[in-house]
Amino acid sequence: MANPIIQRELISVLRQRRTVIVQCVLAVGFVLLIAIRWPTEPRMALSGLRSQEVFRLFAYGLLATVLLLLPVAPATSIVRERTRGTLGLLLNTPLGPWQIFGGKFLATIGLAGQLLILSLPAAAACYALGGIYPSDVFATYLILGLTVLLITSSSLLISTYSASADAAVRWSYGFILTISVLTVLPHYLLLGTGGFTGTVISWIRALSPISAMMSLHGAADLGSAGLATTENIVLRFSAISSIAVVVTSLWTISRLNFSLVDSARDSGMIADDQSLGVRSLRRAFFIIDPKRRSGYIGPLTNPVMVKEFRCRKFGRLHWLLRLIAICGIISLALTILTTTQTVSWDVASVGGIMVVLQVALIVLITPSLAAGLIATEHETGGWVLLQSTPMSIWRIVWGKILSVILTLGLILLATLPGYLVMVAIDPGQWFQVRRVAICLLMTALFVMLCSAAVGSLFRKTVSATAAAYAVVLIVCAAPLLIWLGRGAPFGHSTVEKALLVNPIAAGFSVIRVPGFTEYNLVPANWWILGAGSLLCFLLLVWRTHRVSRPQ
Amino acid sequence: MTVSPTQISPVKNEPVVVIRNLTKKYGDYTALEDLNLTLSAGQILGLIGPNGAGKTTAIKILVGLSRPTSGTATIAGVDCVGESKRIKQLVGYMPDKFGSYDNMRVREYLDFFGAAFQIPRQERIHRIDEVMEMTGVSYMRDRYVDALSHGMAQKVGIARILLHDPEMLILDEPANGLDPQARIEMRDLLLNLAQMGKTLLVTSHILPELSRICDHVAILTHGKLRAHGTVKEIGQQVSQQRTVEVQLANEECVPAAAKIVRGIILHGEVTESPAEAVVRFRTDRSEEALGQILKALMDASLPVTQFRELQTDLEEAFMSFARPQKEAEGAPSMAEAKA
Repeated sequence: MANPIIQRELISVLRQRRTVIVQCVLAVGFVLLIAIRWPTEPRMALSGLRSQEVFRLFAYGLLATVLLLLPVAPATSIVRERTRGTLGLLLNTPLGPWQIFGGKFLATIGLAGQLLILSLPAAAACYALGGIYPSDVFATYLILGLTVLLITSSSLLISTYSASADAAVRWSYGFILTISVLTVLPHYLLLGTGGFTGTVISWIRALSPISAMMSLHGAADLGSAGLATTENIVLRFSAISSIAVVVTSLWTISRLNFSLVDSARDSGMIADDQSLGVRSLRRAFFIIDPKRRSGYIGPLTNPVMVKEFRCRKFGRLHWLLRLIAICGIISLALTILTTTQTVSWDVASVGGIMVVLQVALIVLITPSLAAGLIATEHETGGWVLLQSTPMSIWRIVWGKILSVILTLGLILLATLPGYLVMVAIDPGQWFQVRRVAICLLMTALFVMLCSAAVGSLFRKTVSATAAAYAVVLIVCAAPLLIWLGRGAPFGHSTVEKALLVNPIAAGFSVIRVPGFTEYNLVPANWWILGAGSLLCFLLLVWRTHRVSRPQ
Repeated sequence: MTVSPTQISPVKNEPVVVIRNLTKKYGDYTALEDLNLTLSAGQILGLIGPNGAGKTTAIKILVGLSRPTSGTATIAGVDCVGESKRIKQLVGYMPDKFGSYDNMRVREYLDFFGAAFQIPRQERIHRIDEVMEMTGVSYMRDRYVDALSHGMAQKVGIARILLHDPEMLILDEPANGLDPQARIEMRDLLLNLAQMGKTLLVTSHILPELSRICDHVAILTHGKLRAHGTVKEIGQQVSQQRTVEVQLANEECVPAAAKIVRGIILHGEVTESPAEAVVRFRTDRSEEALGQILKALMDASLPVTQFRELQTDLEEAFMSFARPQKEAEGAPSMAEAKA
């Protein structure tokens, strides 16, 4: 008997107009990619080099598409059922956890499978050019398939733990960023380390589908600093991801029971009413206790800003303090390492890591804070309530933006001690540090306004958050994919033009991270980000005006 | 304390709400057509109508969230369209959706809206305690608003709209989804507010509930005002036919009583209910004619224990307006649908 969940989830998604649009855009994109890079000289075609370059680019593009587009569907799948109250109905049917999970899992796989099938003609065209073995094509699709399985199973697991759809999307993108990029960092930092540590680092690196794809296509991978390694990364990635898929699937199935919907309403415990001992313990743990009785809003404070801080689970002060403390500790630790191990790590390398960490934090946190500024209010019914107060719409939106600015400001400031120590060690770095600070400020401004503007186009928080993440990740990640193809198929000029829009690359080039020193990105990057921010701001103003005017 | 509508004494008799020729069109669709209404201080007006009748459109225009295509609406002399900022201070609006925020406690929620209404901090602290006391939500001050039951949330919603002490309260479906006890509490709360001199405009689908709290009712269908007045006036407006009930001492007398009634009213509808020992009839005859019927029954020595006219209730009145509209749209009647 057919699983009704597959019917509902897959067929309903395929019927949506936006799915058709995405499919058409992707199909046209693949065709254009091949058409643009198609050899124009017969001699080049004979060598097979051009087809390999095209196929490599095509594989990276396909992987980026999977990483960016796929997580939204499985991440929201279970949590949406729970928030809408349909999970209880589903658990009350004869369908067991296996069938519920299977239905949702296969529906997402079906969607991704369709996307991969759309790319097959382009892959066949590359193969027809020559220079590519069938095993290359097979291995490429194996990595893509395993990535799809890994993202689907892990996002479904995240969905069972999340309280809201946008939180599930946020954590899923965080997970993808971690396994794709951050797993490569230890290898990059400790390159050449042998023994047990070296083995562990090598296995951690094999978690990344980007590493596997680069290794397959003969390029030195993301963190290898130009050195090729002898390990079979593709095989390791296949083994690790297969195990991870099985583990996360079983874990998700074990969680699909009534405990997901069987929870009492929060009684609203207040720490102030607890004994002195409990209060002291909580104080020591949280510093700012989230369960304390908060004060009344002050006369000069924007009430919307206070509301935003109070409503966020993650944005509450105790979380911010932890994050700031971690940022501060990491930045100082990195700088101290620089002073003790200057032979293996120079100041530029440490600066590069700090830039990566800060940009990763900005990219991960900002869309979730800024994308739902208007959509969340619409969804919860708060927009009408806010409109029925005497506050002007601009004060409301400013309060919301201010809450994001303060959060980002605190995170950025937390890493300042690291930079200061860096300048103290090498005063010659002062000029670079100042320019890096401007790069980070511009990045934060752009990501915030871009997320808010893109989010304002949607009425649902989850759509707004997913769209904001997709746009921000495209701006931050797509030029880096082109950078990966530097030398071949892309020339210096093409890579430099692509990197001009990338805030991470600008930071790297300023701090002189290897691989980015030859590109002159600043101040053109600041101008481009500034113009982009201005456009996003105007879009936000226009959307805000539209949604707030009387009907 | 329970207060009945008759105990309410308006502070002033001046009209607080004046709506003149209000029309709202969305393209070709007319949501509201030529609405005229006035509402005096301390009155509770029940706005009833089927879904899509134009109730929420009218409310949105009153609170400044929608602009009319033509016509005017004022609250306490303030134009709802041109002076929407002043209107927001005059009106407390509770939409049908509660508007909850995650991780926010009831006291924080009220504090936020108090600050949004620019109530100074010290005054706000007292005011929050006051409205929580008034609406009976003090015990849930530390609960999270997103964890409240529907009944609790509705009370918090009323506490919210009282914060800035508005002259007028507009409540969209306040009794919707409440259990009987919560509904009684809500009714008492609204009556108390009216007694305090607040003018209330309430929409509801629970018509018996409305008839208990509202001293005036307006019926809207298809954007048009069909009737406006007290529940009694509406009943009379709806039905020129009166329903009279004759209660007899025993069931054996029911056929004889029905025969006498039929003989006098001729074309009216007469129904016998032997189990209740009751004869009911509908007639357009005057008081004198009813007197004749009673006299005839007494002359026939039938044991009449009660002879009374039944009030047309709000539900009946509403249906008498809603039914012709449905029939005009071609919707099948219940009997047709069953067939």
